[in-house]
Amino acid sequence: MSDTLIPETGMSTSATMRRNFWLGVWRVMKRKPSRMAGVVIIVGFAFMGVFGPMFFPDHLPDNPNAITQPPSWAHWFGTDPQGRDVVALVITGSRYVLLSAAVTALITVVFGTSLGLFSGFKRGRWDTVLMRITDMKLTIPGLPLLLVLATVWKFGSPIQMGLVLGLLGWGGVARAVRAQTLSLRERGFIEAARGLGLSTKHIISKELLPSMAPYIAMNMLIAVTGAVYAQVGLFFLGVLPYESDNWGVMLNLAVFQAGAMITTNALGYLLAPLLAILLLTLGIVLVVDAMDEIFNPRLREE
Amino acid sequence: MINGTGITKTFKQRGNVLGRREVPALRGVDFEIGKGGSASFIGESGCGKTTLGRIIAGLETYDSGEIEIDGTPMSPLKLKHRQPHFRKIQMIHQDPYSALNPTRTIYQTLQAPLALRAGQTGRSKGWIDERAAEVLSLVGLDPGTVLSRYPHQLSGGMRQRVVIARALTVDPEMLVADEAVSMIDVSLRLGILALLKDLRERLGVSVLFITHDVATARYIGGDGELYVIYRGQVVERGPVDTIIANPVHPYTQSLLSAIPVLHGLELPGEEPVVPLESLTENQSESGCLFAARCPFRGDGCTDERPLLRVTEGVPQEHACYYPQRRSVIARPMSEV
Amino acid sequence: MADQAPGVRIDGLTVVYKTPAGELPAVRGISLTLEPGTITGIVGESGSGKSTLALSLLNAVQPPGRIAAGSVEIDGLGDVVGFAGEQLRKARGAHIGYVFQAAQNSLNPLKTVGKQLLDLGRSHGVADLRGLVREARELLGRMGLDGARVLDSHQHELSGGMRQRVGIMLALVLNAHLVVLDEPTTALDMITQANILKIVREVHAERGLTTLVITHDIGVVAEVADRLAVMYGGRLVEQGPTREVLGSPRHPYTRGLIRAIPRLVGDIDEARALPGRPPTLVTVPKEGCVFRERCELRMDVCDTVDPSVVADGSRIVACHAVTVKEHAS
Ligand SMILES: Nc1ncnc2c1ncn2[C@@H]1O[C@H](COP(=O)(O)OP(=O)(O)OP(=O)(O)O)[C@@H](O)[C@H]1O
Ligand SMILES: Nc1ncnc2c1ncn2[C@@H]1O[C@H](COP(=O)(O)OP(=O)(O)OP(=O)(O)O)[C@@H](O)[C@H]1O
Ligand code: SF4
Ligand code: SF4
Ligand SMILES: [Mg+2]
Ligand SMILES: [Mg+2]
Repeated sequence: MSDTLIPETGMSTSATMRRNFWLGVWRVMKRKPSRMAGVVIIVGFAFMGVFGPMFFPDHLPDNPNAITQPPSWAHWFGTDPQGRDVVALVITGSRYVLLSAAVTALITVVFGTSLGLFSGFKRGRWDTVLMRITDMKLTIPGLPLLLVLATVWKFGSPIQMGLVLGLLGWGGVARAVRAQTLSLRERGFIEAARGLGLSTKHIISKELLPSMAPYIAMNMLIAVTGAVYAQVGLFFLGVLPYESDNWGVMLNLAVFQAGAMITTNALGYLLAPLLAILLLTLGIVLVVDAMDEIFNPRLREE
Repeated sequence: MINGTGITKTFKQRGNVLGRREVPALRGVDFEIGKGGSASFIGESGCGKTTLGRIIAGLETYDSGEIEIDGTPMSPLKLKHRQPHFRKIQMIHQDPYSALNPTRTIYQTLQAPLALRAGQTGRSKGWIDERAAEVLSLVGLDPGTVLSRYPHQLSGGMRQRVVIARALTVDPEMLVADEAVSMIDVSLRLGILALLKDLRERLGVSVLFITHDVATARYIGGDGELYVIYRGQVVERGPVDTIIANPVHPYTQSLLSAIPVLHGLELPGEEPVVPLESLTENQSESGCLFAARCPFRGDGCTDERPLLRVTEGVPQEHACYYPQRRSVIARPMSEV
Repeated sequence: MADQAPGVRIDGLTVVYKTPAGELPAVRGISLTLEPGTITGIVGESGSGKSTLALSLLNAVQPPGRIAAGSVEIDGLGDVVGFAGEQLRKARGAHIGYVFQAAQNSLNPLKTVGKQLLDLGRSHGVADLRGLVREARELLGRMGLDGARVLDSHQHELSGGMRQRVGIMLALVLNAHLVVLDEPTTALDMITQANILKIVREVHAERGLTTLVITHDIGVVAEVADRLAVMYGGRLVEQGPTREVLGSPRHPYTRGLIRAIPRLVGDIDEARALPGRPPTLVTVPKEGCVFRERCELRMDVCDTVDPSVVADGSRIVACHAVTVKEHAS
């Protein structure tokens, strides 16, 4: 109670508050080094997705003399059956994977949250209708649908991919957010806000959303991992045509073309994308651990 | 400033076995609270006090009856037009922990309703900050230290003061305090009660006090009216001191008899009234609602329900066929 | 097993909790005797250490807390502070009945009361479970409930007052003669409270118990307790026969607390709020009097020296002002 990093004036309002927030975030991160590691990993991947491909030519040079090489100093994870460097492939392939995962997360969260909020807040008829739709959507089996879609669509663009995965994935979030909204709206402070005549917009964006922020943030991060697994899985299964280079395609080729299961030469080719996925998952898990403390002032300020 | 006639409210619950269960929470309640006045609702758990308080604060609908605020009947109005009237009546909840948003600082909490007003009246941002500090000072808090805090950084008593300050941001004409001190440290309770009393005296805000502790009702609204509510019906109504000194309804007498006696300082009342049984969900609906528990039940009590009225020789309104003054409350030893 | 009310002697008890700021005492150097067959009431505000003290009677303080010093001697058992494992488990229930704070909510919502009763019996190796049920029904009947119906009910089918009585039944059914009730009437309304207090008094007398009642409400102890002990900031500041303490409180805190209760009769404006607010584990003064921040009689010595506990007949007070006065006269 005594820890006042907060200046005593309190009058310069939003700027100080924002600064306090980030100071708090810093404190939460410092509390466990693992969280820092998580942030570093995620930032690293974001960097890789945005800038990585810029360091490489659009088409990585083939090298018929160095097909499916084992790891060496020149090629840390070896080369692929066309003689391309695996590390370079992982980096150039990351953009597709990460961009589509980001799109998925965005759609899942924006769609799921707004629907859940609206439904839980309005209750009544709206709620019933929306939740019926959500239920129906939840019963659509994702994988078969994707298989069907794959026959007509090539998923060449990561945005397309993200869109489809996102539209398939918001149901769970919507339900969960609705449940949270229903329980929060019974709380005294929501009722007080209504009694004071504050607008619904204020109540939803300033009172409800911040209370659900850790929850939403967690869902978003989890949606990212889910999306990565889903699309890598699809490409690995060979359901989708190889329109672009990405981690799923790499895995597929490593197993079915380079024969990673038979020859140790292709092991690096198989391991590199797997490691990338594992590392990304690890980063996300480590950061999710901090969400509760970041968005809960009590845990943040202590 | 506000009065109600014949307010009824029945909750329909999904029952466990037998389908829907109807809970009559209010059965035709009349009330009237003047500008700057005070009233207290007392009664057992589940008697409908909170429901009535919430209806008065516009947070709950009612099934029938009419509420008038400053002479304007509310039920013909659309929700949008009703709200500005009910905004003059602010509720202070029992639990100051859940009444404040844990993710917002006290400044943010006070700023939102003030900004709304500033927008409506074309006032500046400086006014908001000034007014936020002002309402905090009104409730006895130091704005300098409190404004930038989060609710969890304040004690229960301070939190309840903030809740009251937030209500004051809209310049209310009436505060509805529902068990406002029951979750606060004992040594801090009287401070909050004194604050409510002080607001009444200084700002002329009416206070509706909901409690099951009659003595606190006496502290805040000694000059006001006391409503004794039983199973959704007002069974006795009159000036606080009159009813405490001369209760005539057996239910009021049971309530007053149940107040702990500070042995050593007080002597117990001479004729304490103890209900024959406890309140259960399916006690009889016919005749007097208290009949099953009433030690003084007599002829006709279970035939027709006694209504609130004045009878000869009894100064207050009551709903009992056999009103009888009984000395139930403790007396101070010093007076004996 | 002792079939009569045991006496309890708590001596120099200190209980600490581990916090980010180190180990802090929630109960500090408390000595208190529960005479056999009496009801003792402990009054204190939230955080004053009441529940912690009560838990120590069972040696049941949970980590991060631990009993750091002192002893709790119970007749027929010995010093429970040294107990551990099986020995301790047996003592609880069979010897000491405990009605936990918020007992209204501590029943298992998924099981009927009867099932929970049988679980309790089995875990204490009761051979005659039928007898146990009979005893439970009798106890519930004694408290004005329909025993058979209550045993068949789930928690949500019972009202707050009924649950509290079930809690008391579970504490007594194994024939414990030392009973601890932590906030037995909080969240109940006046009539139900009066009813529960009456039951506590009657059952206490009929079964020959030693009872400890813990509450923040002076009215509650005034109604039931023979002796009253006032806690503040982990210290016992005053104790004595209830009527004497209420009639002529000596410690400034006790006086302030009594004055802060609005009363039904007399001049209501005599009620005075206590200034300041109660300390927390972190803010409670390490040296000097724990109450000095709010005390109107505060002297220089209060800032540095913890007032010692002084007995005057049956009255025990820890305050420099009171001691000074006594010495002077
Ligand atoms: N939202 C609701 N849905 C169904 N029943 C309700 C609801 N709110 C209240 N009730 C019922 O209406 C009755 C009156 O409740 P109310 O909360 O007004 O009582 P109260 O006098 O405030 O009691 P307490 O002293 O326990 O706060 C109770 O039987 C309660 O169970
Ligand atoms: N598990 C715990 N960890 C840390 N501190 C604790 C723990 N349990 C209790 N405390 C602290 O010990 C002090 C005494 O707590 P205790 O529960 O005994 O108080 P109490 O008098 O029973 O209060 P209440 O009336 O709120 O029940 C408090 O300051 C509390 O914060
Ligand atoms: S009307 Fe009859 S039953 Fe009802 S309170 Fe009066 S005496 Fe009792
Ligand atoms: S010791 Fe001093 S500060 Fe403490 S209660 Fe007595 S007079 Fe007050
Ligand atoms: Mg209520
Ligand atoms: Mg406790």
